[in-house]
Amino acid sequence: MGIRYLARRLITAGVTIGLIVVLNFVLFRMMPGSPERLLLGRMPGVSANVLATTREKWGLDKPLFPDQFVAYISSTVQGDLGFSFAARGRPVTEVLGQRLWPTLVLFGLGELIAIILGLALGAWSGWKRGGIVDFLGNGASLILYSTPYFLLGMGLLLVFATGLGWFPTYGMSEVGRAYAGPFDELIDVGRHLFLPLATVSLGLIGQYAIVMRSSIVETMSEDYITTARAKGLNDGRILRSHALPNALLPTVTLIAINLGYVVAGAITVEVVFNWPGLGTLTVDALASRDYPVLQGVFLLLSVAVVVANLVADLAYGLLDPRVRR
Amino acid sequence: MTAPVVPMSVGAAVRPVGGVGAFFKKLVRRRNGLVGLIILGTFTFLALVPDLLVGPLQTAVTAAGPRLGPPTAAYPFGTDELGRSVLNLTVHATRISMVIGLLATIITVGVGAVLGIVSGYVGGRLDGILMRVADFFLVLPTFVLAIILTAIIRDVLGTGSREIAGIRLSLLVIVIVIGITSWSSTARIIRAQTLSLRELAFIDRARVIGASSGHIMWRHILPNVVNLIVANAVLTFAGAILTETTLSFVGLGDPFQPSWGQLLDAARTVGAPSLGAWWYFLPAGTAVVMVVFAFTLLGAALDDILNPKLGTRR
Amino acid sequence: MTEPVTVASRRQWPLPRLADPAAPLLEVRNLKTHFRLEHGWLQAVDGVSFRLEDGEALGLAGESGCGKTTTALSLVKLLPENARIREGSIELFGIDLVPKAERAMQRYRWREISIVFQGAMNAFNPVRRVRDQIAEPIRYRLGQSETIAKARAVELLDLVGIPKKRADAYPHELSGGMRQRAMIAMALACDPAIVIGDEPTTALDVMVQAQVLQLLEQLRMDLGLSLILITHDLSVIAETCDRVLVMYAGRVAEEGPVSRVFTAPRHPYTRKLLGAFPSIHADRRTLEIIPGQPPDLTAPPPGCRFAPRCAFAMPVCTEVVPPEVRFADGVRVACHLFPTSDVQTVSVAPVAPAPPLAPPPSAPA
Repeated sequence: MGIRYLARRLITAGVTIGLIVVLNFVLFRMMPGSPERLLLGRMPGVSANVLATTREKWGLDKPLFPDQFVAYISSTVQGDLGFSFAARGRPVTEVLGQRLWPTLVLFGLGELIAIILGLALGAWSGWKRGGIVDFLGNGASLILYSTPYFLLGMGLLLVFATGLGWFPTYGMSEVGRAYAGPFDELIDVGRHLFLPLATVSLGLIGQYAIVMRSSIVETMSEDYITTARAKGLNDGRILRSHALPNALLPTVTLIAINLGYVVAGAITVEVVFNWPGLGTLTVDALASRDYPVLQGVFLLLSVAVVVANLVADLAYGLLDPRVRR
Repeated sequence: MTAPVVPMSVGAAVRPVGGVGAFFKKLVRRRNGLVGLIILGTFTFLALVPDLLVGPLQTAVTAAGPRLGPPTAAYPFGTDELGRSVLNLTVHATRISMVIGLLATIITVGVGAVLGIVSGYVGGRLDGILMRVADFFLVLPTFVLAIILTAIIRDVLGTGSREIAGIRLSLLVIVIVIGITSWSSTARIIRAQTLSLRELAFIDRARVIGASSGHIMWRHILPNVVNLIVANAVLTFAGAILTETTLSFVGLGDPFQPSWGQLLDAARTVGAPSLGAWWYFLPAGTAVVMVVFAFTLLGAALDDILNPKLGTRR
Repeated sequence: MTEPVTVASRRQWPLPRLADPAAPLLEVRNLKTHFRLEHGWLQAVDGVSFRLEDGEALGLAGESGCGKTTTALSLVKLLPENARIREGSIELFGIDLVPKAERAMQRYRWREISIVFQGAMNAFNPVRRVRDQIAEPIRYRLGQSETIAKARAVELLDLVGIPKKRADAYPHELSGGMRQRAMIAMALACDPAIVIGDEPTTALDVMVQAQVLQLLEQLRMDLGLSLILITHDLSVIAETCDRVLVMYAGRVAEEGPVSRVFTAPRHPYTRKLLGAFPSIHADRRTLEIIPGQPPDLTAPPPGCRFAPRCAFAMPVCTEVVPPEVRFADGVRVACHLFPTSDVQTVSVAPVAPAPPLAPPPSAPA
């Protein structure tokens, strides 16, 4: 991968993050009534002292530009995102930090499982085009693609938690339970994690399988596959050495583009299972109009998606020697 | 919003298809096109005459059934926590969901098509800026942006109970927000097609005889991207319904004009899955899946017809 | 030097177990490869026979769509899904490949018959290094270690004139001529009995074409390659091959030593083809055009397939498939102009009623 490719990707990501920060400023400071009403404001439990300090720090009595803008940028860079009304004046950064890990665990694992299984399913059905796996897999993928994540979650919750009683219905761990050891705790979290994780994975598998399938089908008609066959290589080797490395390329890009959309699913799945992550935080903040938290969530998730896209771009650069330019 | 990741986004090469009648015939002859049309036809019918089918929308005042009762002969889909018929609610929600989906699609595709054509035709710096903005929106987690925008706009407008053309302002805000946050992929696709059209001889000829840019875009470019716009609108519609459902599900729906998403949110709020009240959310859920599925099938059928490349693949 | 080199003695790797040392290298008899279409069978190759001796270079010539590529791909059964070999035999060392299943065929691909594809840009996998792609068959088909395979790949690249330091380039980093050379190196990887060149120089510009042809010619001399060269470019065959097989609409029109066929073409189609071929020596005005189109191969005309376009067509031509006539100079022709009864007596020189040929290359322009 060339330095120029790397540099260009890094600059693009940097500019995008910069734009997100500016967008955040525009959204919350330039609306009528804001920021006094939106960002400071009407929630009980925030002391007058805190309000005064914040007003001072953000320069709210000064003009929007440049004073407020500069103050906003510098406090954002320092990680000061204001304070949460609902959490009685706790800093937003702290609230976000606490909710970040459950989301990372749920969606990191979910993406991982979905990528592995989805790509495998797609590769298989594209390779054995017209076979039984292809037929069933394609149908199931299309249905799953049409199903909102939270609906899938509600269905799984109904059947496996309420109906069969195999899994707990909400939360990340049993409330007030004393654990015999860390292993015990892990099992409890695992039981709580299972259904939300299954929801996330199932929701994504369909999309990834569809993408991978069409990519494999496209690749199979390429000349270099004919060359590989002419070389007398067996099917497994043709798939591993020639079809997959090429078919993965468009898939990487599509998975990256998809990440921004996955966030919507993330939020709703957490709500269904009361998973204490950023999703439930978002919906709670929305219900109580806790704007500083919403602002923080938007910033955090946007930056996360941009960084994930950057990683995907770099992965693409490693997988495809042609992007040296 | 919800995932246009499926590679059915119609490619650049689009062939002319002949008249509307011939086009329709081609669509019906494909199994996916036919199934898609039948499902959508059914739901459109429900959306047009809900009062005739299930009576006026039941409210907390007019509700007469048991609370959260399972399906019976009188209440085939059971009742909600207020005693309203879930059948009644679901059929009425069809109209809300479909209308919001339709309006949001019109705005999304309208904005996307205009920006795409202008960006592709005018080119230069304007094109550069517009496409940067489009890329920015593609990367952004637009759903979170939509949540925030909806909340802020509603707070600022103080929506209350105002209605425009029978639709509550709170829902119109959702329509606008979906439009603002999802135009970018349409714009990109239309721009790509416009770029290739711009190189064609007849556009040059029009330019040489002194036609204005506006005239060329309206008279020469637009008619040649209409197919693409229609195909894109079908997929956008599916996305818009999913987005509206999801926005309502996180609490941004309007209980006075419930959509499917609003019903699902209500079902979750009362804990229907944990209480085993499957009848509360299954009808609305099935409706969402079927409509989105139908649009996806239709989109695939259109793709087959409009995109000749797939047909020749062995 | 004078000792005759045989396939078995020259080869690094053993012959297939069932190989008959006395059999010719390749003997194709009455090959019929058809494509199943919606409305019946397209008779792409319909009754082609030929023989390739060890160390020989055979050119397959004809218009595009005449079945030369299908003939070649049939040899290793690398055909599209809708194609079937419906009749005939393909005997390599006396082993018939037609009944072999896909798995059994893999034994013969590349180790016995390798292919230099047209347009090496797409024939190479874009995301893998050229050296690794050449090493791949050595590693997996000959069971050599990774290290040996890669070292051998570098040697092969060196052999075709690609310097060692370019060995780990990716396909897109090489020029068109270099890629085609690398493709040739890859074809040599398993020391195959036969190399098929499928329009190996068509995508290249003239200078590079000449270099690549020269390379092929030299390799043929040095390694004693047996070569089947498919091309519509007759000058390539004239320069590189010992014998030429002219195909028309899925059948053999004429076959024989290059020196005989090119100087004294007998089949009316061969004459037209040589006339239609632009030579830098020939006056442009004498360039002949073959009127009409090749026949629809889903419903080919009965009798001679060239009859509808043939200036000498007789009533019999449209009814009876012309039998092959063998001449004493090693040329065989499928044309009613040459009655079978005369076979033993036909003279070596071109016979009546052929009109004078287009001026030979040596004639003043």
